[in-house]
Amino acid sequence: MTRKQKRLSVILAGLAFLGAAAGLTFYALGQKASYFYMPADLATASVPPGQRIRLGGLVEKGTIMRGQGATVAFSVTDKQKSVKVTYTGILPDLFREEQGVITEGAFGPDGVFVADSVLAKHDERYMPKEVADGLKAKGVWQESTN
Amino acid sequence: MVETGHFALVLAFALSLVQMLVPLVGARTGNQRLMAVGGPVTVTGFALTALSFAALASAYAGSDFSVASVWENSHSLQPMIYKITGTWGNHEGSMLLWVLILTFFGALVAVFGNNLPSTLKANVLAVQGMIGAAFFLFILATSNPFIRLNPAPIEGRDLNPILQDLGLAIHPPMLYLGYVGFSICFSFSVAALIEGRIDASWARWVRPWTLVAWMFLTGGIAMGSYWAYYELGWGGFWFWDPVENASFMPWLAGTALLHSAIVMEKRSALKIWTLLLAILTFSLSLLGTFLVRSGVLTSVHAFATDPARGVFILCILTLFIGGSLALFALRASRLTAGGLFHPISREGALVLNNLFLTTATATVLVGTLYPLALEALTGGKISVGAPFFDLTFGPLMLPLLAIVPFGPLLAWKRGDIIAASQRLMAALAVAIAAMLVTGLFIDGASVFAALGVGLAVWLVAGALTDLAVKSGFGSVAPAAMLRRFAGLPRSVFGTALAHLGLGLTLLGIVGTLCFGTEKILSMHPGETVELSGHTLRFEGLFPQKGPNFTEDRGRFMLMGADGNADGAIASAKRFYPVRQTMTTESGIRTIGLSQLYLSLGDENKDGSVVVRLWWKPLVTLIWGGGLVMMAGAAMSLLDRRLRVGAPAKRRKPAVAAAALP
Amino acid sequence: MLFWVIAAILTLGASLAVLLPLTGGMKGASPAGDHDLEVYRDQLSELDRDMARGLIQPGEAEEARAEIGRRILRLGAAVQPEAAILKPARSARWVASIAVLAVPLLSWGLYGMLGSPDLPSQPLAERLAKNPADASVDELVARAEAHLAANPSDGKGWDVLAPIYLRLQRFPDAVTAYRNAIRLDGDSAVRQSGLGEAIASAAGGIVSADAQKAFEAALKLDPANAKANFYLAVGLAQEGKKADAVAAWQKMLGQLAPDSPWRSAVRQALAEAGGPAVADAPANGPDAQQAEAAQQMSPQDRQAMIETMVAGLDDKLKQNPRDEEGWMRLIRSYVVLGKADQARSALGRAVAAFGADSEQARKFTAFAASLGVTATE
Repeated sequence: MTRKQKRLSVILAGLAFLGAAAGLTFYALGQKASYFYMPADLATASVPPGQRIRLGGLVEKGTIMRGQGATVAFSVTDKQKSVKVTYTGILPDLFREEQGVITEGAFGPDGVFVADSVLAKHDERYMPKEVADGLKAKGVWQESTN
Repeated sequence: MVETGHFALVLAFALSLVQMLVPLVGARTGNQRLMAVGGPVTVTGFALTALSFAALASAYAGSDFSVASVWENSHSLQPMIYKITGTWGNHEGSMLLWVLILTFFGALVAVFGNNLPSTLKANVLAVQGMIGAAFFLFILATSNPFIRLNPAPIEGRDLNPILQDLGLAIHPPMLYLGYVGFSICFSFSVAALIEGRIDASWARWVRPWTLVAWMFLTGGIAMGSYWAYYELGWGGFWFWDPVENASFMPWLAGTALLHSAIVMEKRSALKIWTLLLAILTFSLSLLGTFLVRSGVLTSVHAFATDPARGVFILCILTLFIGGSLALFALRASRLTAGGLFHPISREGALVLNNLFLTTATATVLVGTLYPLALEALTGGKISVGAPFFDLTFGPLMLPLLAIVPFGPLLAWKRGDIIAASQRLMAALAVAIAAMLVTGLFIDGASVFAALGVGLAVWLVAGALTDLAVKSGFGSVAPAAMLRRFAGLPRSVFGTALAHLGLGLTLLGIVGTLCFGTEKILSMHPGETVELSGHTLRFEGLFPQKGPNFTEDRGRFMLMGADGNADGAIASAKRFYPVRQTMTTESGIRTIGLSQLYLSLGDENKDGSVVVRLWWKPLVTLIWGGGLVMMAGAAMSLLDRRLRVGAPAKRRKPAVAAAALP
Repeated sequence: MLFWVIAAILTLGASLAVLLPLTGGMKGASPAGDHDLEVYRDQLSELDRDMARGLIQPGEAEEARAEIGRRILRLGAAVQPEAAILKPARSARWVASIAVLAVPLLSWGLYGMLGSPDLPSQPLAERLAKNPADASVDELVARAEAHLAANPSDGKGWDVLAPIYLRLQRFPDAVTAYRNAIRLDGDSAVRQSGLGEAIASAAGGIVSADAQKAFEAALKLDPANAKANFYLAVGLAQEGKKADAVAAWQKMLGQLAPDSPWRSAVRQALAEAGGPAVADAPANGPDAQQAEAAQQMSPQDRQAMIETMVAGLDDKLKQNPRDEEGWMRLIRSYVVLGKADQARSALGRAVAAFGADSEQARKFTAFAASLGVTATE
């Protein structure tokens, strides 16, 4: 091989490498990114059981039920629809009725959302951004001044 | 005192404007006097910024609520240590810390840069001045920490309880030392582009700065990861949170820069690439600052919700990244390329390292920015988390880690891959043995776990092999070998330590992820639970009062094999009344290199408490490896070689005579 | 003053940092070539070391040495033009003078826009150590709070603080303080009725079940407690039992002492109940509540509380000076407290607030004179 050919082959190998990485990235974005839904969105979008999504909204009042051990059931609502969620684990410190939460997980075959993580962030004024935007869009929640 | 600090800040801004213009004009016109202004102005600017920061810190320490930022982020009942660390636990104070570190590094260049060509030094200081001026303006215009309240409120609103922690005292300053340290590499690169030539001494200077910045960034990230681990009570050490990624991207790019700078320094090759990489690394640091400080991401870190700030930082970001890349496009062709090398050589290995690391940086960048871009463009909301990075970042890292041990064993210019492989046979054997032992003898070990342990051991053994080979193991007598070992350049130790640390961190990650166990259950006082051979008895909940919080402390007793108590572990639910906030204090007991981690949940109606326990084997190695990497960087910094580059005075006439015909 | 001296010194220092290098002697320029040569020389010696350690093969080392040699040769050719550009230009002088001037002008101008030079530092410890007489109500309250944070079981402290909270409209704090006082120092009609008022005020004037309970507890201890009777009637009115409320108020009118400050409040409530609107709780109950509380305190506590309230009134008048009655009350209070100087100054301010020849000013002067206070010494 001449020097030029050598250089060309190195460059081609590099490009192929980058191409593979780019391909992988976009495949992963399509497969592994989880989409955010509010309960009312689920009526229009069909989410098959087992697909990971994020479900956000408010914890519906009076729905928190502690079951066996550390399993908790509650409903997430956007004041239009609500979705039953079960979660086993420790709820975040700021998990309260009527407060914004984001749960991540997938629907079980029975239509109950099985969450493996529940987020409610660390400031009492904090409303998860997605939830706040979603609720604002639905006209349910106004930004409070304090 | 407070107003003195405010005035000093304004004065420092004025000086940064002088610093950015006068030396630059001096360097363009070859005027030594104008260039000489750079040094004293930079040092004075640093002194004024330090004075300003001290004034703010004393306002925080003395709970001076006539200062708005103190009122918003402090409380008179806070322990003194958190009053002081609260200085940078908020947006305004942390930006002041940012410029303090920036001016500090600038002052270091001014003081120790006498061995630099004067035009290069002047240009470097001018570019530092530009960055400084932009951020001073940002602080004064949108985040002034010295805004006063009259009449002064009598009590503050308290620091976010989650930030009232010693980890916070160390994490941001370290991280900023890293971020801002890369500004020096950036300034050197832009200075070289302004001049249109790369001095050989440029190369000598960039590497130590990269090392310093990289060392602190490593420490800052490790610290932040440990802080999140014990403070958030979720037991995780890395969440692929955009804020974490914001510090991880400059680290990856900085690691690449560290390696390409070696090639440039030793072989004068890869100059243009290194220059570009230096620009990109600091750009990623700026991007990190933007992501964290603009409020684009809602998280613990985003104290700023003021859109003006976001827009301002975005402008700074565009100006510096766009400006430097445009300059690069204009001038890069003028720069001369350096030495030649064979693909299989030390240089070749370092290029491969760069290829992997920059690609990995790019995937993290895509994963971090894609959700933001998607939301901005289509309004769709997605979250990109661990599954994405496992699939993209993982496959890039594994081959890179596998080839790490080869690099230091290859010769410069043209290496012998077969000879290197032969030297690594022992390490390979150890790694395979570790893999087999893991796979065959540990219950529940997956193929991945075995591979992971093997890879980690391979890295550690490879690093040790490098040291052994270079001290002549097997070819010279033991006494001579010891002598050679002691005589090895410090940078060889640095390399070995850094690679060793990487192996340890990997081992910690694999150990925790693959062999960790966890349990969630409700416990009544007096009940015991068993986890991976450790028995814990729940003693009960005990209410307690702290200086500015109340807590329910859950006490657990670790039971020894003989059935006797073997030390207590406590986890608590804290309530901070000023902010009406609950936090969870996790209980951690370190056993060897592993940890027992427990965190308290809600109390049930029947008096039982939800408890989550983890057994995390080898978890301390994750951060211990980081410390070893830092030690490696420190070792490299001590290398004698990095101090060369100044023309010795006595030899000067001869040089001048040789240079002039 | 000290601040301006410091600022001037800092400015001087900063300007000197710009000025001195500009006027200093020309330093010998070290051409970039020298530095490069040094680096190349080091690379050569390093090459030898690497070869000794086997890090580079002899053949490659020879090549590398040739590469470095070529660079050194190139250096010799490039050094030349450096010496040519050393003549000082006139434009440089312009740049220098602008830079020197810019530092003081810019910093003082910008600071003038942003700073608050007249505002001294106010560390909390210093503020709390000041003479109480100069302190504002907020500071007095803070001092009491600091005291109570250290001694949370000081029932009397809570008892003093509770009505002050109420007056400052910090209702939830008042509720806590009253509860603590009751818990630590025992029940009393005054405390219970105060608690009731605090709960009701915290709820925006609605007499809730909790508030009602407190008022009823107060009545059990003292059936004639005016505040409890009054608010219970307000509660009735809010429930829509207007007739019962009116009956209760009328009964109160019959029982209250002729000079009781509650009379006017009851009359007002009755007047409103007669109209279409449902009676709200009066925005600010008469001072009887504090007076009652004061009767049950030790002399020191009483004095402290009175002083606090006077200081509060003073503060309020500073913000809202067109309060004729307020000024007269303030002047009288200072006279009663034996603070003739402050009474005089209050008179002066009162007169100034309405204008020296206004009708009010004459009234103030006459009123003060009747208490033995004159505007001049």
